[in-house]
Amino acid sequence: KNCIITKCQITWRSKVKMGHTSLEKIIALQKKTPHIRNLCILAHVDHGKTTLADCLVASNGIISSRLAGKLRYLDSREDEQIRGITMKSSAISLHYTTGGNEYLINLIDSPGHVDFSSEVSTAVRLCDGAIVVVDAVEGVCPQTQVVLRQAWLENIRPVLVINKIDRLIVELKLTSQEAYTHLQKILEQVNAVTGSLFTSKVLEERAEKDAEAQSSCTENGSGDQVYDWSAGLEETDDSDLYFSPDRGNVVFASAIDGWGFSIHQFAEMYSQKMGIRSSVLLKTLWGDFYLNAKAKKIMKGAQSKGKKPLFVQLVLDNIWSMYDAVVTRRDKEKVEKMVTSLGLKVMSRDLRHSDPKVLLSAICSQWLPVSQAVLSMVCEKLPSPAEISAERVEKLMSVGARRFDSLPEQTQELKKAFLDCSADETAPVIVFVSKMFAVDSKALPQNKQRPLTQEEIAQRREQARQRHAERQAANQSAESPGSADTGGASTTVAPASGAVTDALCAQTEALSVKTAVEEDNKEHFVAFARVYSGVLRKGQKVFVLGPKYDPSLALRALPEGCSAADVLPSVPHMACCTVDSLYLLMGRELEELDEVPTGNVLGIGGMEEFILKSATISTSPSCPPFTPLNFEATPIVRVAVEPKHPSEMPKLVRGMRLLNQADPCAEVLIQETGEHVLVTAGEVHLQRCLDDLRERFAKIEISASKPIIPFRETVIRPPKVDMVNEDMGKQQKVAVIHQVKEEQTKYPEGVQVDSTGLVTLTTPNKMATVGVRAIPLPEEVTRLLEDNVELIRTMEQFSLFAWEDKTLDINQKILENIQEFKVKLESNLQGRKWRGAVERIWAFGPRRCGPNILLNSVEGYRRPSVWQCLEREKETEKAEIRDFDNSIASGFQLATLSGPMCEEPLMGVCFSVETWDMKLSAPLAQQDSIDEDSQTAEPNIDNQNESSDTHETNASSASSNRSRSGAEAAGSSVDCYGPFSGQLIAAMKEACRYAFQAKPQRLMAAMYTCEIMATAEVLGRVYAVLSKREGRVLQEEMKEGTDMFIIKAVLPVAESFGFADEIRKRTSGLASPQLVFSHWEVISSDPFWVPTTEEEYLHFGEKADSSNQALKYMNAVRRRKGLYVEEKIVEHAEKQRTLSKNK
Amino acid sequence: MSIFTPTNQIRLTNVAVVRMKKAGKRFEIACYKNKVMSWRSGAEKDLDEVLQTHTVFVNVSKGQVAKRDDLSSAFGTEDLTEACTQILAKGELQVSDRERQSQLEHMFRDIATIVAEKCVNPETKRPYTVILIERVIKQLQQSIQIQRAHMRLRFVLPARDGKRLKEKLRPLIKTVENEDFTEQLEMVCLIDPGCFRDIDELIRCETKGKGTLEVLSLKDVEEGDEKLE
Repeated sequence: KNCIITKCQITWRSKVKMGHTSLEKIIALQKKTPHIRNLCILAHVDHGKTTLADCLVASNGIISSRLAGKLRYLDSREDEQIRGITMKSSAISLHYTTGGNEYLINLIDSPGHVDFSSEVSTAVRLCDGAIVVVDAVEGVCPQTQVVLRQAWLENIRPVLVINKIDRLIVELKLTSQEAYTHLQKILEQVNAVTGSLFTSKVLEERAEKDAEAQSSCTENGSGDQVYDWSAGLEETDDSDLYFSPDRGNVVFASAIDGWGFSIHQFAEMYSQKMGIRSSVLLKTLWGDFYLNAKAKKIMKGAQSKGKKPLFVQLVLDNIWSMYDAVVTRRDKEKVEKMVTSLGLKVMSRDLRHSDPKVLLSAICSQWLPVSQAVLSMVCEKLPSPAEISAERVEKLMSVGARRFDSLPEQTQELKKAFLDCSADETAPVIVFVSKMFAVDSKALPQNKQRPLTQEEIAQRREQARQRHAERQAANQSAESPGSADTGGASTTVAPASGAVTDALCAQTEALSVKTAVEEDNKEHFVAFARVYSGVLRKGQKVFVLGPKYDPSLALRALPEGCSAADVLPSVPHMACCTVDSLYLLMGRELEELDEVPTGNVLGIGGMEEFILKSATISTSPSCPPFTPLNFEATPIVRVAVEPKHPSEMPKLVRGMRLLNQADPCAEVLIQETGEHVLVTAGEVHLQRCLDDLRERFAKIEISASKPIIPFRETVIRPPKVDMVNEDMGKQQKVAVIHQVKEEQTKYPEGVQVDSTGLVTLTTPNKMATVGVRAIPLPEEVTRLLEDNVELIRTMEQFSLFAWEDKTLDINQKILENIQEFKVKLESNLQGRKWRGAVERIWAFGPRRCGPNILLNSVEGYRRPSVWQCLEREKETEKAEIRDFDNSIASGFQLATLSGPMCEEPLMGVCFSVETWDMKLSAPLAQQDSIDEDSQTAEPNIDNQNESSDTHETNASSASSNRSRSGAEAAGSSVDCYGPFSGQLIAAMKEACRYAFQAKPQRLMAAMYTCEIMATAEVLGRVYAVLSKREGRVLQEEMKEGTDMFIIKAVLPVAESFGFADEIRKRTSGLASPQLVFSHWEVISSDPFWVPTTEEEYLHFGEKADSSNQALKYMNAVRRRKGLYVEEKIVEHAEKQRTLSKNK
Repeated sequence: MSIFTPTNQIRLTNVAVVRMKKAGKRFEIACYKNKVMSWRSGAEKDLDEVLQTHTVFVNVSKGQVAKRDDLSSAFGTEDLTEACTQILAKGELQVSDRERQSQLEHMFRDIATIVAEKCVNPETKRPYTVILIERVIKQLQQSIQIQRAHMRLRFVLPARDGKRLKEKLRPLIKTVENEDFTEQLEMVCLIDPGCFRDIDELIRCETKGKGTLEVLSLKDVEEGDEKLE
């Protein structure tokens, strides 16, 4: 609560201080490109980015320096304030003067949490430099490495701030000497990361060069071969990459206490005091140097001689004694002495304050203001937008694997515009939008209430006075009605007209209120962008280029020298629009601008129609889209989202679309099951997305749940060993009473199952009998079928056309593919059992192209093969199609669509039709009379009495009626069991189901492959999480040049909910998994398993109620679908609540 | 008149009575609540978890045990356990609260699953999830747009019958996707699955088996995932 109140005060105060003068100054500064610095603050979570930003913001008087570090001005969202972490990147423009030069600093604060690393990418892209903040206690953390890599990949120059030095003093109680070595270590760590980035880049380049050389070598085929084994590391200079205080790119700071310094400051201070040249001090202040007071010399080798290094003596000791005096001992006299010796003025109010921290920050912020140290470093060390390197430009301009040279010429010319970075009228405008963020319409400057200017106040006063006068006049005339008839006419007119105008005013006011209310409900999107060249003006016509835009295509389509204002033919991924409004980003505030010259960060309004997430804006159609942002985190946490009130579905869909636009990393999709799925980078990110959906975008109640997990059903070969890995054959089977009972109930009447698993079933009207056997397909075959769905579909289409005596032309390439597919199938289906199987394939299923096979093993039945498209030329003996051939296939399709275990599709099962007898002597004469009844007769053949099936059976019965011969009308022979074709389908389906059940059944689970990068110390915990979630490690290897391990594992999709979060928590964020769907895998445990062998009895007991993974999955699916689940309602009869009174 | 002797009484609590009339006599057995249905479905295999006592009563609440003669005449055995299992399997019973609850729940789920399977959102041609359907059924004042998923048919009719049949088929067809009338009438259309039998009959009878009809898809839904953008 307190915080919110202070926030209000501050925003008020900021308005007072941020008057128009400041805005004008910023506008003026925007035009001086060399004096602009675009930078972002990057760090691990909780290392003090936002606190540091606060200090910098305070230096401009936007917030009080007293509140700097507590307010977190740039965390404008409520949940950011509550959770204390930054969740989005936000920009603010600051003004800084040093050495007579005025600088404009566009500062972007970024989040440190892994979940929001996409926001970091959007920030980094727009900057030329970065402040990398490292906690002095924690040192280099995982995210620090990530941000350093991001900065490296975007070619932006980093500077280092080692923050929270106060913790070394107050918490760890290190001596200054110890602190020095500690700081040295941290610096080394940071430099090691930079070094490894550099090495990997050099090695990569080297590899590329090698590859090129090799290809050219093979082209030449001759010439002397030179083997160059130098890695190229030696030749490349890397010295300017590293952080070192004597280079001036390191600041030591404590943002919370408001102090910070670079070596420069102390060097200058002491050069005055001690008379040593500041350049000498600069070189020696950091490093193994000590002061020899007698010789008045600075000597090397402080460590070996046991002397205090210069840095400790001159710098740290001062700070340490300050903390000692102010915080630890609270020595008033000493403090006063120090204050006067430093020439500072401290208010007596601060001196008397009970919290020593107040006094400390009062002193320190004057003595060593952190903002000055950081900002001066930034201005000196970081490049201005004009100094953009050619290398970076090429990188930005070449999308994907395209090389810069391959771009159209006009596009290559634009490189010059980038490098010039000129704000000329003639320069083409190039703007990159890195993200869209939603803004409440109230926050837009147009809709904001502004303090009225003097004239406006005067005007209003005048209006009010008039109105008052009119009203008085009206009253007067009312009091004296018809007093003077002559004058009355003139007096009554005035009030009347006054009343009319009043009414009009009221109307227009009401109207404006109404439109305002309407606008309130709308979310406005502001594009977070930067101008790379030219001047962007309000009302300007520009091209908006999507990420997939191709300039070479457009250049061909568009006339030479056209502009966005002309009427142009439409080009893919390009739109023309007018720039609506431009904003200066001031943290939570926006200020309206009329134009933004090159090199500035800005917000663009009214772009939501044209830009989804990111885009390039230009006046030239030859401008290429910028390379897509490098996202360190890919979205992996999936949830299904549903509205609380089902009728609000359209609102949810709209909201999800908006969310997708507003968040660079979130993905939303509708799955085939009809679920609306939201994919986010992590649990915290998910929470934020859901909050946004609830409160901003959809404005409805929603619920998020685990998404539906698909399974497949299959059969396997009978296992040879039991659950305790004992050979089955040797052991005696123990008779189980209830199992015998079950065996009897398993198959209803009319179904015969022999010991080899052949199921024979007769249709209800006793006209046809089918015998079916289920055989597991080899794994490779299943995979082959899955991979070639498209081919199978083509083949299916061909057969369909052939049926109607038409031909379908298939191009040669596809025919070859089919041939290859067939050969592969043949090579995988070897052995006696599969002899000639490929030729005998009847159909694929489900949906005619799935990973299951129907095999024709009926003796004496030759039907056209599914491969007939291959053997078009060699017309062999005309194979005969039996009547009702299609009914069998349809039955197979239905059976494979939903299996008996939990009504999920089958996979990798071959159904072989062994017998098919028909008694087709049905008396034709009876047909007509029976036909009439057929409409009333429901085909009540379904033994499973699953009402859902009846309709489908019914429906697909039609597909069998692709009859050509008139005699086949007999096929419609209808009796009390419904159409015969329908009966046959049902019979076939049931036969397949029973055949399936006669074999050892297994469930197949969808698997993710999961790649985890982890450091050695958390490896054990990664394994623990994996094994808890039924994951399996495939391989583990060390990444070259680092101490990171890459673990490859597979994990069932069913266990993946919350996996990413758990692994991150357990490893303190040192391991980050990536999940990708890979394949289907058989779950080895049998869902119907009960102990049968002696060994199993010994091991599991009679009940064997230890958890069975497959059974658990199966029951969960069955319960979800409302199918019967074999479980007791009450486990223990005696342990129920007694309802009757105890008598 | 029996004398009230508390020490001799065995009181049964949580009783579910299963009754059966056989050979003109009434028999009852005392079971635990919520257990009989599990026994009948085969989930419970331990008889002792179902029966309170292996005794056949004439009246459970009064504690009157059935006579041996009656038992043997009705069940053909004097074995009490055997008689009990027979009564358990065939007798009538009052379904207990939780049994009822789980039955209803199953039924409800089943209905919702069927609805979700067969219907689509007419705007997106995508199915609704079962959970959503359940919620809509429960709070009936809410309404969503829902439609029976259409069935896609393709039929080929001889030119002679084509014109005549088309008029008859028209009211049954929802939308015609493709129509080709050159030598013969070929049509791909969407229909309500309820009309299928009528169409089937019509084509079969009117063309005397010359026309062909085939189901292209049982339900017309969008396949694959769609990214919202």
